[in-house]
Amino acid sequence: MVRPNFPVRLGAAEEALIAQLKSAGADQAAERVTVAGLPTRRVESYHYTDLKTLLRAVPPMGQPANQVDVPALAIAGSYNLTLINGAVFQQGEAPAGLKVGTVTGGVLTTRDDILVHVNNGLAREALSLDVASGAEQIVQIARRIEGEAAHVADAVKIFVGDGAKATIVETFTGSKAAHVGNHATYLALGKDAVVTHVTIDLSGRETSHFATNEYHLADGAKLRTLIVHAGAGLSRTHLFPRLGGAGAHADVTGLNLVSDGQHSDITMETSHAVAHTSSQPLFKSITRGHSKAVVQGKLIVARDAQKTDAKFMHQGLMLSDEAEVLSKPELEIYADDVVCGHGSTCGKLDEDSLFYLLSRGIPKAEAETMLVRGFIAELIDPIEDDALNEALQGIVDGWLLTGQ
Amino acid sequence: MTTPVLEIRNLHARIEEREILKGVNLVIPQGEVHAIMGRNGSGKSTLSYVLAGKEDYEVTEGEILLNGENILEMEPDERAAAGLFLAFQYPIEIPGVATMTFLKAAINAQRKARGEGELSTPDFMRAVKEAGAQLNVDSAMLKRPLNVGFSGGEKKRAEIMQMALLKPSLAVLDETDSGLDIDALQVVSKGVNALRDGKRSMLVITHYQRLLNHIVPDVVHVFSDGRIVESGDKDLALKLEAEGYANYGGEAA
Repeated sequence: MVRPNFPVRLGAAEEALIAQLKSAGADQAAERVTVAGLPTRRVESYHYTDLKTLLRAVPPMGQPANQVDVPALAIAGSYNLTLINGAVFQQGEAPAGLKVGTVTGGVLTTRDDILVHVNNGLAREALSLDVASGAEQIVQIARRIEGEAAHVADAVKIFVGDGAKATIVETFTGSKAAHVGNHATYLALGKDAVVTHVTIDLSGRETSHFATNEYHLADGAKLRTLIVHAGAGLSRTHLFPRLGGAGAHADVTGLNLVSDGQHSDITMETSHAVAHTSSQPLFKSITRGHSKAVVQGKLIVARDAQKTDAKFMHQGLMLSDEAEVLSKPELEIYADDVVCGHGSTCGKLDEDSLFYLLSRGIPKAEAETMLVRGFIAELIDPIEDDALNEALQGIVDGWLLTGQ
Repeated sequence: MTTPVLEIRNLHARIEEREILKGVNLVIPQGEVHAIMGRNGSGKSTLSYVLAGKEDYEVTEGEILLNGENILEMEPDERAAAGLFLAFQYPIEIPGVATMTFLKAAINAQRKARGEGELSTPDFMRAVKEAGAQLNVDSAMLKRPLNVGFSGGEKKRAEIMQMALLKPSLAVLDETDSGLDIDALQVVSKGVNALRDGKRSMLVITHYQRLLNHIVPDVVHVFSDGRIVESGDKDLALKLEAEGYANYGGEAA
């Protein structure tokens, strides 16, 4: 019998997702997966990350676990929170100016994206943070997947009040198992708020890491994001910054650190929704061994968003002959008085620079490390918090030291 | 007899299939400053790169002895630790690498290779300050990434400052005068002359004689078509300036 309502052939991963969504009562999301399946390369925003091929299995839903301990990074003065297999753990009293709570269900704006549907359908409780107007906060959120291989959908919703200043660090870690993490962060910046949002994937090689970050910027808000992929075998972060207030500015940055056998994708879709906003997306990828890094960057400028100033840049550094760096910039501009651009470069370590350092007596391995650090400096230097800056440098150094 | 600081014997080198050095012989005794003059394309800069060990060049014949030790099998960093310093004609800009970080790494790497302890931070800072003062390298320059945004003169001053810090036994100065105005030339020359201590040897590669008014050489060699074709005292440079390189044959550049 012909079944025209089922245009895609569903694999084991999709069948598991559909069953999980149905049992969570998320029938609409289950229907989306049933009809569309996991995105293939024919879905433009997944062009280089074909999930139908890359994600063959989805483990059972993670069970609540209770093993709160030290945060992943030592950051002086930070207030630490933990999400384990999706459940929120608060350690100690929140400082003045920060309200911590939970909200039920997903946090992401519904959009035509399977991972968003799945997260909204499966996230049970979301961590909610409110930074009061004018307050200054450093918050670290450790998102962990523990125990046997598990599928975890967790969510965080953050409001940063008018004129507040916040540094929010999210780390992704967990037990070494074939987890699938589907993480959502919704971050809204009030007028003139200044926010640094750093996410670092340090999960195990066996893990597949998916994150969707949504940002909303009001008038004069300043956002700096740094997405670091340095863990999972398959990682993908999808960024949706929306500049919705005049004077808003976003430095959307990211770093793929990709070793042999890994696939790492950062995809961004920035919306300039009103006039007089600016963004400076800057991404870097370093690949070694047989590995693949992907950066896609789309700038959407609405019809009324005149005087938009936006420049997307992706730079790739390939440390081996088998490494791949894939780059796709896109501009979708409906306004007529804007300055928008994109650029992309890709190459190996510069031979002349290397020779210069060697000629001063610096041994090759050290010289290469210096050049790689130099390549990344543009991303890490702007992180003002000293401890965070140092922690990030440590992660990069650790990645370099593990070799391969 | 004291071992010469540099002895080059019948050096042949090529890049890809093209032979550029065609039998270079040169001896620089301790403490002497030798100049190599030659037209563009004669292979002068190639000689400096081959001395420093740049990978692109293949040595097909001959020897290079630095303080009696054959350095041809050494990596560039090992040659540096053995006492060789090349002041680049075009110092490389390296964004993201802080000048101070670089200087410290270079000094300590060389000390380590020679079995000496690392320089303490205060000692390092003092050494940089002293060397910088002499060459008008101020702290603003040192705070910038390595050579990034430096003017031509600043780059050359920074090169000589590195030389002062690294204290090589042989300094090779590749067209150090190129891109310098008179004032910068004087500062750089003063810095170089301050490092002439009767022990350190130098090989000054230049196209023009004017540099040799400031850094007065003990011996001048004329380089043409991949080898030294004539040697003499500093007056040879004046003769070259007056007559040009036409008398030395080879292809015009």
